[in-house]
Amino acid sequence: MKKLILPGCILFWAMAGLAIAQSQGQLLTSFGPGPSTAAFHEINGLFTGDWQQYGQLFTSLQANIFSQIFLLVVTVVPLIFFLHYIIIGPMKFSHEGRQIYYFNLLSRCIHWCAAISFALLVITGLLTIFGSLVGGGVLLRSGRTVHLISAVTFSGSALFMLFIWAKDMIIAPYDFLWMLKIGGYLSKENKTVPAGRFNAGQKSWFWLATLGGTVMAVTGYFLYSFQGNTDTLRLSAIIHNFLGAAMVTVFIIHLYMSLFAIKGAIRSMISGYKPEAELKILHPRFKI
Amino acid sequence: MGRMKFLCDIERCIDCSGCVVACKEGHHIPVGVNRRRVITINQGKPGEKSISVSCMHCADAPCIAVCPTDAIYQRDDGIVLVSKDTCIGCGYCFMACPFGAPQFPSGQVFGARGAMDKCTFCAGGPEETFSVKEQKLYGQNRIAEGKVPLCAAMCATKALLAGDADEVADVYRERVFKRGSGTNAWGWDKAYKKK
Repeated sequence: MKKLILPGCILFWAMAGLAIAQSQGQLLTSFGPGPSTAAFHEINGLFTGDWQQYGQLFTSLQANIFSQIFLLVVTVVPLIFFLHYIIIGPMKFSHEGRQIYYFNLLSRCIHWCAAISFALLVITGLLTIFGSLVGGGVLLRSGRTVHLISAVTFSGSALFMLFIWAKDMIIAPYDFLWMLKIGGYLSKENKTVPAGRFNAGQKSWFWLATLGGTVMAVTGYFLYSFQGNTDTLRLSAIIHNFLGAAMVTVFIIHLYMSLFAIKGAIRSMISGYKPEAELKILHPRFKI
Repeated sequence: MGRMKFLCDIERCIDCSGCVVACKEGHHIPVGVNRRRVITINQGKPGEKSISVSCMHCADAPCIAVCPTDAIYQRDDGIVLVSKDTCIGCGYCFMACPFGAPQFPSGQVFGARGAMDKCTFCAGGPEETFSVKEQKLYGQNRIAEGKVPLCAAMCATKALLAGDADEVADVYRERVFKRGSGTNAWGWDKAYKKK
């Protein structure tokens, strides 16, 4: 037995030495100096990632484009309507005669819930976009809280609106005709325009508010909670701003239509009644 | 006036995270906020390298460009600072920053983010220098005391350099000359593989 130990040890060390010698070349040279630039290249990939893809896009959009778009929306759109009011003037209908029950109490309640929360969303949203003019701070931090609460309220109301109005809002062939005539708002005479219970303008506003509102809610959730990776947040911010500009535009249109363009139109959303004279011209396909 | 800069020598950084601890402890930074972090590549493998990252105090900083409230500003010496009283925590600076420097404390009303917190180059903030409010919101103001930032001051291997850009560049250039590069570089080959 003793005779075997010595040759066994020699064999073991010889094998081990051979194995080390074989791996040594590869092992030791790989600890040698690699170029720092290659390491920096790898590090850059880790901590800046694909910044050029969406980071740069978001930065350039937010730095210049978004605030300018919103500035255009809140100045040019009202200016166009001001000129429309002066040159063409509002539509006038006799509020005497037969009154038709148009909006029931539930739909009016839902409408005003959505209207107030949406108005708050627009105001606080615009305040944030033009935050440097307000000076930031406590006012805008509370604005963000109001934006959140309004967003939740509006999401609920928009869901209800979808339930009570969706079937009246289905797009029909005559809606394109209405769009071509721009609803008759460019003529001084009261001519009949093709529309059912809701006209094409109201339908676009409805679908933008509900479907667009869903997109706003999802992107807004990402922006508020900071869930998801940085690129998701960047894309959310881009979508939220562009879609927001579109919604603010149509919101101003809606305000103008109900408050100024058709005299007394807002009364139908308060009392629920519309004059028959108005319906015959603006909603001829509505079955009384 | 000089221009302040950080430089991390990746040939020296050993991933001890001393800079992270020094910064967090020295400025009493809240839980969940890291003004500085260490990134390691090829961990446990040949060619392992580490780098300590915080705010780069960029020239033409993207965070300043996107801030909707103009809460972020740059000093004449290049240090980028934030006014926490103006910041509304919208998070746009985080999305614009390539380095993930802006951090946000959580736990506000409705789960909102608090005001942005990031590396100040140990230069405090817009409040009065050495005031209690400045200390509370932004941490120490070592630049006003004539000291380098905490992280660089305590770096054991002196991998992290901070200060005037020209000085930092001089120190780094001398190091690179001394240790060489490529086949002349220090390392195993030079020590043991003499021809």
